[in-house]
This record gives sequence, C-alpha cells and structure tokens, in this order.
Amino acid sequence: MNICYTLPPDEQSEIKPLLNGDRIVYCLPYDLNETGEFLESGWVAVTRKNLFIFKNGAVVNTLDLNEIDDVISSPEVDCGILIAKKDGQDRFLCRFSMRYVVQFSYVARGASLFCGGTEREIVSPERERYCPQCGRVLPGTNQCPRCAGAGRMFRRFWDLCGAYAVPLLLITLFMALNSVRTVAQQYVTRYFIDDVLIPASGTVGQIAFFFIVMMALVLAGLTLSTINTIWSNKLGTRISRDLRGRVYRKINSLSMEFISSRQPGELMNRVVNDSAHVREFMETAFAQMFTRIFTMLGAFIAMLFMNWKLALMTLAFVPFAFVLVRSFRKLERRLWRQQWRFDDKVNNRLQDVISGIRVVKSFGQEQRETRRFHAYIERLKSIQKRNEVLWATLYPFVTLIITSGTFLIYYFGGRNVLGGTMTPGQLVQFIAYANMLYMPLQFVSRLPRMIMRLKTSLERIYDIIDEEPKVDDSPDAIYKEIQGEVVFEDVTFGYRSYEPVLEHISLHVKKGEMIGLVGSSGTGKSTMINLLMRLYDADDGRILIDGVPLSGIKRDCLHGQIGVVLQETFLFSGTLYDNIRYAKPDATRLEVIKAAKIANAHDFITKFPDGYDTYVGERGYNLSGGERQRIAIARAILHNPRLLILDEATSSLDTETEYQIQEALNRLTEGRTTFAIAHRLSTLRKADRIVVLDKHRIAEVGTHNELMRQKGIYYGLVMAQLEMHKVRS
Amino acid sequence: MLKEKIKDHDDILEQQNKVVEDIITVRKITKDNAVFSRTQGGFVSLCYTGDDSEAKEYGRVAVHRCFPHSDPTHYISIREPDGDGREIGLIEDLNELPKDMREMLEEQMNLRYFAPKILKVRHIREEYGYSYWDVVTDKGACRFTVRMGGGNVYPIGKNRYLINDLDGNRFEIPDLYKLSAREIKQLDLFI
Repeated sequence: MNICYTLPPDEQSEIKPLLNGDRIVYCLPYDLNETGEFLESGWVAVTRKNLFIFKNGAVVNTLDLNEIDDVISSPEVDCGILIAKKDGQDRFLCRFSMRYVVQFSYVARGASLFCGGTEREIVSPERERYCPQCGRVLPGTNQCPRCAGAGRMFRRFWDLCGAYAVPLLLITLFMALNSVRTVAQQYVTRYFIDDVLIPASGTVGQIAFFFIVMMALVLAGLTLSTINTIWSNKLGTRISRDLRGRVYRKINSLSMEFISSRQPGELMNRVVNDSAHVREFMETAFAQMFTRIFTMLGAFIAMLFMNWKLALMTLAFVPFAFVLVRSFRKLERRLWRQQWRFDDKVNNRLQDVISGIRVVKSFGQEQRETRRFHAYIERLKSIQKRNEVLWATLYPFVTLIITSGTFLIYYFGGRNVLGGTMTPGQLVQFIAYANMLYMPLQFVSRLPRMIMRLKTSLERIYDIIDEEPKVDDSPDAIYKEIQGEVVFEDVTFGYRSYEPVLEHISLHVKKGEMIGLVGSSGTGKSTMINLLMRLYDADDGRILIDGVPLSGIKRDCLHGQIGVVLQETFLFSGTLYDNIRYAKPDATRLEVIKAAKIANAHDFITKFPDGYDTYVGERGYNLSGGERQRIAIARAILHNPRLLILDEATSSLDTETEYQIQEALNRLTEGRTTFAIAHRLSTLRKADRIVVLDKHRIAEVGTHNELMRQKGIYYGLVMAQLEMHKVRS
Repeated sequence: MLKEKIKDHDDILEQQNKVVEDIITVRKITKDNAVFSRTQGGFVSLCYTGDDSEAKEYGRVAVHRCFPHSDPTHYISIREPDGDGREIGLIEDLNELPKDMREMLEEQMNLRYFAPKILKVRHIREEYGYSYWDVVTDKGACRFTVRMGGGNVYPIGKNRYLINDLDGNRFEIPDLYKLSAREIKQLDLFI
C-alpha cells in the first residue's frame, strides 16, 4: 500500500519552509476529527526529524521526533488514533476511520523507528484496495482491470492465445464460413419461392434440386458448427490447462511472504476458478461472438443491397430493442438476486436450527423455531411466486416488442411486394435477415459483462504470473555441505513490517549443539525457525550457516539438509510408505522400516491391515495426532539432515511414548545442530542450551542449571509446570 | 535446599491466587473513590483511591462501554490503556458522576467509538460484485464500498441495519422506514 501520498498543493506550500531540505518519508491523509466527524482535509507527514499534522490546509501540530519516545497507532472501535508518547504521557495526534488503519500502523512504526534513531524506512507489502485512478475496488490485483486499458488486455489475451494461433485462425475462418452459409441459405429460399413456387412453370425436378441444395447447406452448417464447437472446447481446455500449470508453477516458486499474504482459498480460486472463467469464455462467448457478429454483419449488408430504406428502418429499431433487452436483464438479475438472497437466509436458518437442535430441544423451543421457520418459507414462497408470475407475463411481452421490428417489415415490405418493387421471395429473405439482427441482441447485451469477467480473471491470473519471487538466491549462491554452525546476527523481522515479531536477535550456535527454544506463544519461536529455513528473509541483520549468509546458499541445497518435524503434521494423500519417503523418494524399503522403527511408528503401522501401504490423507485412513507426529519424525529421520528442527515435535504424544521417542531422537540429534521448541520443558532436558524468548527478544540464554540459578523467566516456567503436574496428580 | 524449594512453590501459588482474585473481583468506581481529570495530551487520567490496597494514579485510562449498543451510559469499564489492558474498575451509572467528569469520559468514549448513522442515501451504484455508496451520515457526507453477496448488510433488531464496508467500517441505518421510498428502493438489493 502507498504510505507516502503526495500532499495537495496548499499543504505543500505550507510545509515547504518547515522542511529545511528534508524529504517527506511517509505521508497519509486522515479523515476524522476528535469528535468523529468526517474531515474535509487532514494530512500527516513524516520526515526523518519531524512529524507534521495538517488540518484543513494548515499545520496544527509539529513534533520533533528526537524529543518523543514513541509514535503508536492505537486501534479503537471501528476507527484508530495516532498517539505520541513522551515521558510516559500520551498525546493525541489525529484520528482516522478503518480505511487508513493499516497504513497508519506502518507509518507509526516508521516514525517510531526514527524516534529511536534508526534510519531504516519501511514499506508496506499490502495491496491497495482501491484503484488510485478510478476509485473502484481492485479484485486483489495490482492493476485495475478497468483502467488497465484495452491494449493491456489485448496483449494479455494475445500472450495467452499466441501459442494457439493456428487453431484460433481456423476457428475464426470456420465461423466466418458458417456465417456466409447462413446468409447464402436465404438466397436459396428466395429463388425457391420466386422461381419455383410462384411461376406455375416449376417442376418436380426443380423442387428436388432445391431440396438437395438446402439439405447440403444445412448439413454443411451442421458440420461447420460441430467442428467449431469441438475445436473451441479443445482450445478452451488446453488454454485453461496451460494457465493452471503456469499459475501453479509460479505459486510454488513464490515466497511464503506472498503466499501467506493471501488466503489459501484465494490462490486456489485463481488456479481453479479464474482459469475456468477463461475457458468458459473461450468455449461459449468466443466461439459464438464471431459467428453472431459475422452473421449480423452479413445479414445487414445483404439487406442493404436488397433495399437500403427498409434495411435502415430495421436497423433504427435495433437500439431501441437493445436498450429494452438490457433493462430487462437488469431487472431480471435484481429480482433473481433478491430471491437467491432470501433462499440463502432460509438455508442458513435451517442449518442453524438443525446444528443447534440439542439446544433447541433442551430448552423446549421447538414450537417457536417452527413458527419462525414457517414465517421464513412463507416469505420465500411469496417472493418466488411474484418472480415467476412476472416472468411468465413479462417475457413473451418483451420478446414481442423486440421482434416487433419485423412487423414493420411485413407492412412496408408487403406494400413493396404489392407495388411490384419486391418479390415475395425477397420479402421472406428480408424478414429472415431482420430476425438475424434481433436474435443475438440478448447475447450482445451480455457481452460487456462476459468481457469484463474475462478481463478480471486474466488480470488476476497474470498478477501471479508476473509476480517476481522475493526471496531469491543471490547470483553467486553456492552448493555446500552444511557442518551445522548457525549464527543469528542482530536479526529483526516481522511478517508485517509494522509489527516486529523478532527484534535484535543475536545467537551463536556451535556445530552439533542442541538449542531449546522456550517462551510463551507469539514470542517468535517458530518465526526464528521460519527464518532459519529461509521461508522468509530477515528485515534487518542476517543469519549465517558455517559463516555463509543464508542467501549465499542455494535454496534447494539448504532445504535438502534441514529436517523439520512440526506440531501440525501434514500428510499428503497417498500411502504411509510414500509419506515417509517424501523427502527421499529413492529410499529403500529397509531404510523406511529402520526410520519408522526409530520413530516408534513401525509397530502401529504393521498393525494396520494394509501396513505401510495404508492410504492416508483426505478420505483415507485417519491417523491420530500422535501417529501423525511419529510419521513426521520418521520422515525427518530418513531425510538424515545436518540441521534438525523440532517444533513441538512430540506434543501430541502421551508421556510414555514421548519418553521413548525422545530417547530415539536423542540418538538422532547426536552431533547434529538441533533447534527444539517445546512447551513441555521436560522435553528439553537434553538441550545444551536453553534460549528464552520474551517480548520478541532473547531474554535468557544458558544451560538448564544456569537458568534455574538465575531465577528468571525460565525458572518461573519450570516451577509453574511442576505445580501443574502436582495439581493433576 | 528442599525448604527453599517449598518456599518458592508457596510464593508462586500465592502469586497465582492473586491473579485469579484480581480477575474475578468486580471493582466499582464511584464519585467517592475516583477523580478523573483531563491530560495535556487530550486524554483522561485517574486518581483512584479504591479500597486502600488498590489506590493508584493512572496517567491515562481507557474508557470502554460494556453495552455500546443497548446501554451506552451504564457499566463503563475503566482500563489500563497499555499492556494487557487490565480493568481498573466499573462505573455502574455514568449519570452519578459529577457533570465535568461525565463529560470528560463521554469525550473519551466518543474518541473510541465510531459508528456513523446514515441519514440519507444519495446514490448506490452496483458494479461487478461491489456496490458504491454515496450517503450522508450524522458525521458528515461520505462514500464507501460494500462487497456484494450477502452478510455485509444485516439487520440488528427491527428495521435497524448495520452495514460493513470493505475497509471494516460499520455504518448504521437506525430506522429503515425513516428513509424515503426512493432511498429504500435503492437499498432493496441488500435487504
């Protein structure tokens, strides 16, 4: 998001003399005054030295950042306020609605860094919600599909279709041919009427001849459109397959930062739905678009040649019919949506009551719920009835009006026939053409919406395809065998840069050391591990392995040598055998069994009817949390990593099993650098050193005994856990 | 050694009990045991005498309503603004405080709660899954955007509606039928 807006001219001239050559680093509008009324114009500008508050064009407050301790953005109810802290006193600066809440969090953090004397500037990776040009909502993309312009859309479409130029050309050609066929067919009809039926000289042979020609034309049309449909569908599915592949490949190569900044459903949507929209467009709209447009054009040209006056008359009627169709469609959508919304309500109500049936029954509220539900379905019924009746009466009426243009032709054309300037065959032909003009109107009125949908989908797909991976190897990254020395050098990191999760972490871990990470939840234990795995890059400071910065080691090389056991164990759909050898697909059966034995998983696996071939995952065999964890441990053991990370690896196990696995793990961790996170402190007995994180920083480091003697946080935790166990037993 | 350990246990147990005690006690703030005053920074400070042991001065307090919609002048929770936001005490009835203090607290609550009421619907435009609203509220004119597709405009009580916009602001229609027929027709799609 933009956190450095451009000041309006008034404010600019106001601030210029105050800047003393400084640069505005952050600049945001705010929209509320103290009492919560919407404000005409309010601005906050931050330089390295000062913070300025503008109200209606004038500076109302100037703060010297060196003199205040902190700037914070405090969330209130449906709004937020900016506060400066000085000597323990809070000072109100400005107030804003939810529209600017996120941006102010960043600016407050940025200003607070300047207060602390840090020169670092922060940026906001969040997306803009609105198009800065037109103010419309952006559908989760960088560019507004509306403002991007037709050129950009065309380039995207061309980029998409470029590879399929030959089938596309063929489809277009076939569509054109089919249109020509449709138009030509009417000529045949006309000759049949004028030359065969009307003059008494027509013979049965002639009729047979026309019969064959018509038959051939119809068959040709059928063949053409069938081939067309098949090809369009083929093309559509091919394009959507290729798009899905491209998006999926891209998602895999993008950083966790990008991925976690979106909801998983959103990415799924882009892979599945947006590419489906493109396919749908190719199959239905695209295929029909040209046929219909060609046909309309062809029909109109033919009409012009036959009788231009009558042709123009028909055409004059088209805009009217078009407007009618459009407004009718709008009404239709509106009413349908109303009905659909109420339908939704009824379903929700039903679901609510059925899932809460125990509460309803235990409080004896069946009668009341029944009455309530009845009222709902009664309303739904009346809405449905009203809509259906409306359609039934309105629809034929609208069709009548749309096609009433043809009545004009009957009248004027009929007069021409009587006057001898037009043959009956020509009139029939003309009416057929007029219908060709009117019939596709429904379709044409839907077209802008279809194109917009395609544009949005394309924009969303290319938004990912064009995204540059952020965490990337430096160009001189190397493959190296990790020995296991890990150094955190003054590392600072936050998932959102206004919310630091780790601050100034410095830690030297010797090769082969086992480090226990302790701290209450949310203090950054797992974040330290995410950074070590390089799922994210540190904002400040760096992490070195054997003296080489993380970015200097090839990512696949790094991940190949780190083994992870997480608390939430994810098993892919597949057999247990496949899951255990996920990181080492060429492992032999014996190796898998050995790893499973160490992880204490072999026994329960062999007890399953299908043994190692047991199918797990969605719709598969349901393993318990402890079983899953043991599978994950086996997976890590088989991986034989140089660096081992255990994030609550044994938390779901009962004490006895945990003890056994701990013993097994001890054998595994021997000589390997290990980071272990655990809430149950007994798990960390064997740790060489314990690192206690508190308030985003390292609070204590030392061996168990050292920390117990210190009587600090760790001591308190150990004591509290002892107490808990006492109470339980 | 063992004695020391037992003593430590007792200390921790005592601490825990204090925390629990603090959580479950309802402390009342009245005009007799508390003095609120304005701070230079635009907030409110509290000098709380409480029950002897809790006497303390607070440089700034946060003022929360327990029932912001249904009973805005009763049960006002006075809390520490930073850290965990511990509750200092509850004011049962705002009207029992001296006028100046009541005003101070009301100002603070006005600063905290932002719920514009829609007085007039000028225009609603619907476009590709979003609706763009142009309204007049009791806090001034404003434009906002609502995602279509249910759940963002919902009734609370009879004829009273809440609207969630895309940014997370909440707007209120206090009484739908106080709006004109034309305005209600514009809202048809949502209600």
